[in-house]
Amino acid sequence: MNTPNNIYRVEMRNISKSFGIVPVLKDVNLKVKPGEIHAVLGENGAGKSTLMKILCGVHAKDSGSILLDQQIISPKNPHDSQQLGISIVYQELSLVNELSVAENIYLHQLSTHKFWINWEQINQDAKALIQSLGFDIPSTKKIKELSPVQKQVVEIAKALSQDTKVLILDEPTTVFDPKDTQKLFDNLIRLKEQGISIIYISHHLEEIFKIADSITILKDGAVNGSMPVEDIDIDGVIQLMIGRELKELYPKREPTTNSESLLEVANLSAADTIVEDISFSIKAGEVLGIAGLGGSGRTETAKLLFGADRKKSGSILLNGKNITTSSPVAAVKQGIGFVSEDRKEEGVFLNLSIKENISLTNLKAISNKLGFISLKKEQEKVQELINKLNIKANSQEMLVRDLSGGNQQKVALAKWLGRDGKIIIIDEPTRGVDVGAKVEIYELINQLSSNGIGVIVISSDMPEIMGISDRIMVLKEGQLQGILTKENFSEENILRLAIGEYMI
Amino acid sequence: MNLSTQSNNSGGLFAFLIKYNTIFIFIALVILSACISDVFFTSINLSNLLKQVSGIGIISIGMLLVILTGGIDLSVGSLLALLAVLFAIFVNTLVLPAAILLTILIGFVIGSISGYLVTAQKVAPFIATLAIMTIARGLGFMYSKGAPVVFETDGGAFMTNFGNGSFLGIPNIAYLFLLVAIIAQVMLSYNVFGRLLIAIGSNEQAARLSGVKVDRYKFLVYAISGALVGLAAIVGASRTNLGSPNMGMGLELDAIAAVVIGGASLNGGKGSAINTLMGVLILGLIGNILNLLNVPSYPQQVIKGVIIILAVLLQRFESK
Repeated sequence: MNTPNNIYRVEMRNISKSFGIVPVLKDVNLKVKPGEIHAVLGENGAGKSTLMKILCGVHAKDSGSILLDQQIISPKNPHDSQQLGISIVYQELSLVNELSVAENIYLHQLSTHKFWINWEQINQDAKALIQSLGFDIPSTKKIKELSPVQKQVVEIAKALSQDTKVLILDEPTTVFDPKDTQKLFDNLIRLKEQGISIIYISHHLEEIFKIADSITILKDGAVNGSMPVEDIDIDGVIQLMIGRELKELYPKREPTTNSESLLEVANLSAADTIVEDISFSIKAGEVLGIAGLGGSGRTETAKLLFGADRKKSGSILLNGKNITTSSPVAAVKQGIGFVSEDRKEEGVFLNLSIKENISLTNLKAISNKLGFISLKKEQEKVQELINKLNIKANSQEMLVRDLSGGNQQKVALAKWLGRDGKIIIIDEPTRGVDVGAKVEIYELINQLSSNGIGVIVISSDMPEIMGISDRIMVLKEGQLQGILTKENFSEENILRLAIGEYMI
Repeated sequence: MNLSTQSNNSGGLFAFLIKYNTIFIFIALVILSACISDVFFTSINLSNLLKQVSGIGIISIGMLLVILTGGIDLSVGSLLALLAVLFAIFVNTLVLPAAILLTILIGFVIGSISGYLVTAQKVAPFIATLAIMTIARGLGFMYSKGAPVVFETDGGAFMTNFGNGSFLGIPNIAYLFLLVAIIAQVMLSYNVFGRLLIAIGSNEQAARLSGVKVDRYKFLVYAISGALVGLAAIVGASRTNLGSPNMGMGLELDAIAAVVIGGASLNGGKGSAINTLMGVLILGLIGNILNLLNVPSYPQQVIKGVIIILAVLLQRFESK
């Protein structure tokens, strides 16, 4: 695009916003050119999402002004901003589960126009739109039948279904595997070439350097730097985000010297999912990574082992003894813990306090035979875990929904740390977690393994899984493709196994 | 500026009132009632009021437990009629302790059927308990042959005395209600059982993946609700000296209303027994004062409905 340097598509000038007495944005400026991918970065709680919500009219600003193509705008609700050409793809999906793909994409138009709806037309339009994004999803399928990746694609299609000038993406790739991420990037670059401005929020700094043109970094609600991407590197960004230098993202770990297997899984197959004939073992103190593309059966394997899905066949040996994990209750009894990738739906209790969340899996230890809880013991135990995991909260009584993503994840982990566990399975340990908390979680995983616990980690983040695992097992379509040892770790090797022979 | 920021700024008193709104509504209603009617603060009226609410109060505590897990029990009204009829039959045919235990046990068993349908068969609680509601009402009419069963024995006379008697000026059955509420509150605040109910109602899937025996506890709350209906049936029959198949029409809705006025969430995971007790008293008070003012029963229903809406809207403030 040939636009003069000082012409902006969106200008947010001196935006300030407080919730109650807590200031979340202080005099923030954001300038995005037409045909530019502009990354907005910052730790959880830095104010990125609030800034975006002001731009889309979800929140009202306290002061400052917003300009779209040099015109002052003041969207009062998301509908206003959509009419102006500002669309957002939320981190938390905003689709209606019971409606079809096409109905969701055109939902905002369905109510306004005609009495009769031309379903055939809508279905075809939706199909074409999704195909133009490089994906193939039947447009009559209901949202609830889709995979997380497909849902995200529909969400993006929905944002593009009308005349969009500014597209805001809030952590779009958290559910994507590398192949889908690449497709998304190809699309973003195509959209950018059409002159659309894209505001891109992500915790994956590698991604930012692949596609962004400019970067604005927020820290504690204020802009801590804004520059073209050429002028800075990852370390520089991290420094601006957290205000200190981050030496080691992945803390060093000593491989275990144990030789005997703690857990041995043989020929495990699921009754209801694609998981078939999976065999692996894990030593005490070892971190085993599970990699694979979306839909490869990683999470399903974990849930099968944990008893959340039904088994068809196979055996599990823990410390040489045959165990059955027919339900999570049975698995927990055997000392197996599971941290779900879906924190809000399956991991934490958002409406309960930190204390109630953490002590739920430890109730036996803090109560007497009749089930009466010792509030003193509970308080002590929970405080110990809060300190150990460095959970940032005013009190134990704070509701988990009021915590940042990183602290919520720590609460989900803390649940299992109070017990004498033998195996802990962590699905996407750092999804939606900022850099500072990431390192703390990695350190925690190291600490767990050095205590002799077998840790199984599932992650879509390649550098992460290579950085923290001792071995990586790669799945494809529910089957084991191979187990890589540390000296064979590389993105290429993992992808080759994950994709099969189609990759060089 | 939106509303929530303003309410935050306006300081402590408002927040305090919002937080303990159930208690304040109750106190306000008591004061209002005392001002409106000089009959209100007579011991006969207060004693009557407590007698009226005790049965439904016991049922509301059971309803609270079910609602905490995210379920609902529509069968309580009909079950009350069935169990009151059965209790009257038992009183006339068996020794009194056996009649009491058997009634509560049958309540437990019928509640268990709801629990079984909800947990093992994955029937929606609304549907499962709706079916039990119809069945129980039908059985009540069948066993009573459509007419009230009157107490005829010494045991029956004893129960009638108990049901209408007082101790230290407070009706015996009100103590029973208070006892049930306190036990429930202690279990909810200090016992693993209560913690698990709240966890299940707050996020069932997360509870399951935390190794909680979700189905066992969901089953139990329906069974306990049934048993408490049994206790309420004994209370109700003893007050009136009979068991009638017409008892408890629409009572399930009053019980749900009391739980909701007490601040519980129908989505589960939030609620307390003491607040439910307050909710029961508030509903009872409204009925009482309207009666004292000679308001006819149809406008009474309208006013009750409005109060329920107001109470729920007030709680919306609280959760913000």
